[in-house]
Amino acid sequence: MSVSFQTMAAIRFGYGFRPGEAQPEDKQALLAQLKLGVEAKPTFPDGGAEACRKRIGDLQDQLKEIRQEAGDDDEQRRNRRRQLQRQVQRGFQRDANQRLMQAVLSPNGFYERLATFWTNHFSTSANKSLPMRLIVPLYEAEAIRPNIGGPFRDLLRAATEHPAMLIYLDQAQSQGPDSPGGMRQKKGLNENLGRELLELHTLGAGSGYTQADVRSAAMVLTGLTIDRDDIDVAFRPRISEPGQHTVLGVSYGGDRRTRKDYLAMLDDLAAHPKTAEHICRKLSIHFIADQPAPEMISAMTDVWKRTDGDLTAVYGAMLDHPAAWRDEGAKARQPFDFVVAGLRALNAGSFMEANQDNDDDADAMMAAPAKDADSGNGMNAMAPPDPADEDKVKRRKAFQTARALGQGALRRMGQPIWLPPSPAGFEETFDAWITASQLAERLAWARRASAQFDKDQDPREFLKATLADAARDETIRVVSQAPNKISGLTLVLASPEFNRR
Amino acid sequence: MTEIVLSRRGFLASACCLAAAPVFTPVTFAAMPGDNRFVTIVLRGAMDGLDLVQPYGDAGFAGLRPTLALTPDKGLIDLDGHFGLNPAGADLLPLWKSKELAFVHAVSTPYRDQRSHFDGQDMLESGGEHVAEEKTGWLNRALAVIPRSDARKAIDVNTSTELILSGPNNVDVWASDSNLGTAKDEMQFLMRLYAGDPAFAKAMEEATRANGAAMIAEPDGKRGEKIADVAALAGNMLKGDYRIASFSITGWDTHVGQAAQFKRPVQDLAQAITTLKTALGPDIWSKTVVLAMTEFGRTVRQNGSGGTDHGTGGCALLAGGAINGGRILGKWPGIGDAQLLEDRDLMPTADVREIAAAMLYRQFDVSPDDLTAKIFPGLSFDKSSQFLRA
Repeated sequence: MSVSFQTMAAIRFGYGFRPGEAQPEDKQALLAQLKLGVEAKPTFPDGGAEACRKRIGDLQDQLKEIRQEAGDDDEQRRNRRRQLQRQVQRGFQRDANQRLMQAVLSPNGFYERLATFWTNHFSTSANKSLPMRLIVPLYEAEAIRPNIGGPFRDLLRAATEHPAMLIYLDQAQSQGPDSPGGMRQKKGLNENLGRELLELHTLGAGSGYTQADVRSAAMVLTGLTIDRDDIDVAFRPRISEPGQHTVLGVSYGGDRRTRKDYLAMLDDLAAHPKTAEHICRKLSIHFIADQPAPEMISAMTDVWKRTDGDLTAVYGAMLDHPAAWRDEGAKARQPFDFVVAGLRALNAGSFMEANQDNDDDADAMMAAPAKDADSGNGMNAMAPPDPADEDKVKRRKAFQTARALGQGALRRMGQPIWLPPSPAGFEETFDAWITASQLAERLAWARRASAQFDKDQDPREFLKATLADAARDETIRVVSQAPNKISGLTLVLASPEFNRR
Repeated sequence: MTEIVLSRRGFLASACCLAAAPVFTPVTFAAMPGDNRFVTIVLRGAMDGLDLVQPYGDAGFAGLRPTLALTPDKGLIDLDGHFGLNPAGADLLPLWKSKELAFVHAVSTPYRDQRSHFDGQDMLESGGEHVAEEKTGWLNRALAVIPRSDARKAIDVNTSTELILSGPNNVDVWASDSNLGTAKDEMQFLMRLYAGDPAFAKAMEEATRANGAAMIAEPDGKRGEKIADVAALAGNMLKGDYRIASFSITGWDTHVGQAAQFKRPVQDLAQAITTLKTALGPDIWSKTVVLAMTEFGRTVRQNGSGGTDHGTGGCALLAGGAINGGRILGKWPGIGDAQLLEDRDLMPTADVREIAAAMLYRQFDVSPDDLTAKIFPGLSFDKSSQFLRA
């Protein structure tokens, strides 16, 4: 039995069905989501890019002030720093929630999936430093998302030149050892970005480049750094290694180094056939199967070559290949995909959005019960509660539930937003995600979400709306026989076909 | 038993430690004037009444249930010379002896033929004649017609109100958001769900082994504690302004290996009732009625997996100081071939809604007209009801 186009489109190429959302009719409509997605603009960072940049600048100023409060009370400095950290962390949580909600609420599922793919391909981690909590969301919003439907070259440039990448892969530390700046500061080369550029971002590991290529690429990149004050990208000839540097047989640079040198290298790397192969393979592994059909990859690389790496055309070649529409369920939904798909299926978006923040003074409230408890008998305790408190309790509970079903779950399942374990990003294969502990977490999530949103759901209808013709007969049978509604919904969300794509 | 903090606020603050959703879906309370109390317990998953209260005096019983049927010489606790209590419910025996416990055999809702848990529970809680006929719960509708009923703001701290108490009238809801064990019957469903998918079956098997078991299935001991917590909470609330409470116990869908699986939910039920009694204290317990009911019964014959499948006629339980117990109520239809419904189920001889109606009438003076028109549409009930003698 083969699964319909719309089911495949929703589950394999999107974040699953959401009640009331229009489905793409055909491949053209699916591809059209790229343009719509770019136009829609992300809901993060909070307040938009300009506001975020201002926050970054303010944070830098405050960190500087704290550093310069020389001789002052250490305790006070520590407190101030801690307070600042809490504030930044809170903003980061808000952005991470917005990123989750963006995926839940967007009708452009294919675009959202690709945004996740590329953010993970060009991995950066918000854990690198405090300012990175602000910079990484901005990076996805302004470097990745606008560029995932155009030429790969543009995306590579945007990602490589963003402060998030320059900080994460230590490019901001790298200086040409023989450059005037490098000699004066006695600082040298950092190969990190040069290496990952070749190994992860373009050609791919084992594609034939050498350690000399890595070192040369790092040399070509010298001068590319950040402005420490406002954390913006900058090119400083003074720290750029002079001379010619040969990467994969092409030489870049000269006596006077400019930004054009590394841009030329990036463009050449983007145009390299190994890059096309690496990216096309990675896309088909991500979307279709851990062992994708070689014919699909070559169909994609042909189009890459013909269109000079036009990504929309490459996605189109993937969708045009018959292998894109068969053998459904070969991949595991990764935790982010699972949580987003679950929240979409349960139509939980408005609850999650309404409760992603809790501004009440929760600590004070939670400390309050002693007074009434001590007053003793049950009659007193039953006095009508203060409505304001009731409301606070309600909000707090809802907030805790939303957090547990969102960021909390993603952390427990091992895929917290913007916190990949390494520059290589999160694991990709089925075996990495379908394990005993993973399944236990997913079951716990399914239970909790089902208990939260069971009110108006009949599990049999929920199954139809969520898995459509992807539901196996056995799942239909088991769900319809479940001992209660919460169990029934849980079984849908726990089913193999809901956890596969 | 854990003593629950008496303060509402204290409870709210500690709500995270209270029982979990699969064991008990939200505990719902309604504050009513007057002295009498009424507790409903929804036994979700179709409790096998023939296993809880076994008709060992019926000649064919042992043959119908080779591995499930017990006799007094094999541990069954004789109740009246014909019926015996499953030994897992031994803690209920003192209540039976003090006439604070009764069972009603062969009852059902008007639901027939389909045997879906969802529809059956919907019928049981909505109180209608047909599936999805009533959108609100009968216990909620009852609030509006209880004389001297007092309007009170609802509190819904966690999830949703259970259907039985949901509707236009104010009901406070307190539920736990804590983690979430899976009852054993549900584990069977998960196993079946994964049986055809080796990768998932393997992950599930590993997860349920050793340490993993704690992640998925609630350890039995902990489950019992949580049930005691919720019952104690309900009891303490009923000591105050509240007059009506409702909660659920899951784990009854015993298709496989029932002899082992049935014990746990029966122990839970016994624990819930004895805990309620302790928490309420003798004075209030004497004014209390507990009604435990299920969506339908199970097949009279055991199946090929040592379990039973969805049936029709079931068993309800009444407890409390306000009842005249120590008796098996209802009209026993027998389990001979000709006496079964569709040659498989216990023939229902009374409507479980009539028991509920009788308790609402007796505890809260709800008029028979209201009971048959507004609360249980289509039900026949008047002051001659057999259950008013309970």
